[in-house]
Amino acid sequence: MAIIEIKSEITGTVWKLKAKPGDRVEAGDTLIIVESMKMEIPVLTEDAGTVKEILVQEKDPVAEGQVVAIIEE
Amino acid sequence: MAFEALLAEYEARRAKALAGGGEKKYAKRKAAGVWNARERLAYLVDKDSFLESGLFGSSGVYPEQEDETQTDGKLAGFGKIDGRDVCLVANDFTVKGASTSATNSKKIAHMKRAATERGMPFVTLGESTGARLPDAMGSRGMGLLLGNDNTQFRRLRETPMCAAAFGPSFGSSTWLMCQADFAVMHKSATVAVSSPGLVSMALGEKVDAADLGGWRLHAEVTGLVDQVADKEEEALDAIKRFLSYLPSHCMEAPPDASVPAGSGADMDKVFAILPESRTQVYDMKRVIKCIVDQDTLFELKPRFGKSAVTALARLGGKSVGIVANNPLHRGGALDGDACRKIVDFLVLCDSFNVPLVLLTDTPGFQIGTEAEKNGAPGKIMNFMNAMTLLTVPRLSVIIRKSYGRAYVCMGGGRHSDDVSAWPTAEVSFMSPEFATKIVHGVGAGEPGYEEALANIRKGSDVWGLAAVYAAQSVIRPEQTRDHLIRMLDIYKLRMTKGVGQHLMRAWPTSY
Repeated sequence: MAIIEIKSEITGTVWKLKAKPGDRVEAGDTLIIVESMKMEIPVLTEDAGTVKEILVQEKDPVAEGQVVAIIEE
Repeated sequence: MAFEALLAEYEARRAKALAGGGEKKYAKRKAAGVWNARERLAYLVDKDSFLESGLFGSSGVYPEQEDETQTDGKLAGFGKIDGRDVCLVANDFTVKGASTSATNSKKIAHMKRAATERGMPFVTLGESTGARLPDAMGSRGMGLLLGNDNTQFRRLRETPMCAAAFGPSFGSSTWLMCQADFAVMHKSATVAVSSPGLVSMALGEKVDAADLGGWRLHAEVTGLVDQVADKEEEALDAIKRFLSYLPSHCMEAPPDASVPAGSGADMDKVFAILPESRTQVYDMKRVIKCIVDQDTLFELKPRFGKSAVTALARLGGKSVGIVANNPLHRGGALDGDACRKIVDFLVLCDSFNVPLVLLTDTPGFQIGTEAEKNGAPGKIMNFMNAMTLLTVPRLSVIIRKSYGRAYVCMGGGRHSDDVSAWPTAEVSFMSPEFATKIVHGVGAGEPGYEEALANIRKGSDVWGLAAVYAAQSVIRPEQTRDHLIRMLDIYKLRMTKGVGQHLMRAWPTSY
């Protein structure tokens, strides 16, 4: 069981949470949407698994590279 | 018969050599689901086409080790992949961990020389412990084994080089991965300068193999590998597929293929992939899949620098290299990793005469402290320079946004043979929202902002670009595939039979 850290690719503000702990996710699924540069930028998972933790809330600022969710493969 | 004894010895030696490190070791690998070197070669090449070179090699440093160094641990030879000749080296880990020593170095050099001088791809299948000890120990060992072939790591991209790594792949296997035009890593592999054991001995640093050189590190962080494979056959299939897009050497055009049925059938749906709102993103790979020949998209470094897509594909049966922005990641903003990935790919395509298609939807280069710390300006200029050194046909299509310096890097102006644009194209020095603030001094929510923004946005539409002939065509999205196929034919290199000038053939293999 690999633990995978999901990072925001960009600095911005959390706009919407699209997944919650316990959700089953597939590769390419959107977990969180970050608002940045006037755009809605999704935070995706590259791997299928189960969402273990969502580490941010809506309206939170996020930095590039910040871990925002944990997936268990 | 006078020669019977000799022939008997020949057969006995041959059987011993083919047995490598011995039945026991092969059986143990088989039980663990790990293929041996001969199985990998047999799967890779056309049936019965492997012709071995150096079967009777053994340690060149210690003659008394003849029995335990069958083939000296690296199999070399020739084979055919899809009917085309290739030069091959496959490491046999059962023989002294396929460690590098005198005889097997000569075998690798021999294969590389044959490949380079006679125009055949060079494929290496790595799994190795590194330099063989004590062979390379001491000044005598070093003087004897290292540095005597100054072409060993010279890369002038005369022929395509592919490398795979399975299991521990220290030393030569890692070097060859870094030098290859296509590097594929089995998930069992560790690609690193030295083993976790040596690292903890030398530095007192406890590391595991995955952190030191596992597939995630190289696929996502270093970008040193192009693809990752779950199964042995996937890794070998990837090499075959990569080579199918390329010529055997730099002095010929890539091979043509037939156009699969159903290609282009989704073109009427391509425009619907774009979201109506310019603040929303989409996956550019869906657009690419509609445009190229069915099931021909072969992406390189999919987990690295993801705001760009670099992929080999075919259009009307002809090999093309696709360079695209992917708004799904970072909104398509190009960071240092994406620039590096694109430049690697431009060098590959230009060196092997593969025409390029650029699909643009980017708000520009990534800005911010992280980008600058990462040396973004240098990487942007490498990208810019590479674009000016291209000699293969190159076409660009502006899908949506194209801003600032990225407009030029993505083929704007004379950086493409031909620029076309969708009616959705918007081109300017920066995004209208920020430009409104800078030019008119008003921000969102302030009086006059909406009007000023609308004016600036209007000035960024496709018609300005078409009016000054900076876009040669404005096309309906569903015409993109047919337009590109026709343009590739129009701009083909007739006078050199499809062969470019390879001005980047000595570009570093990673930087």
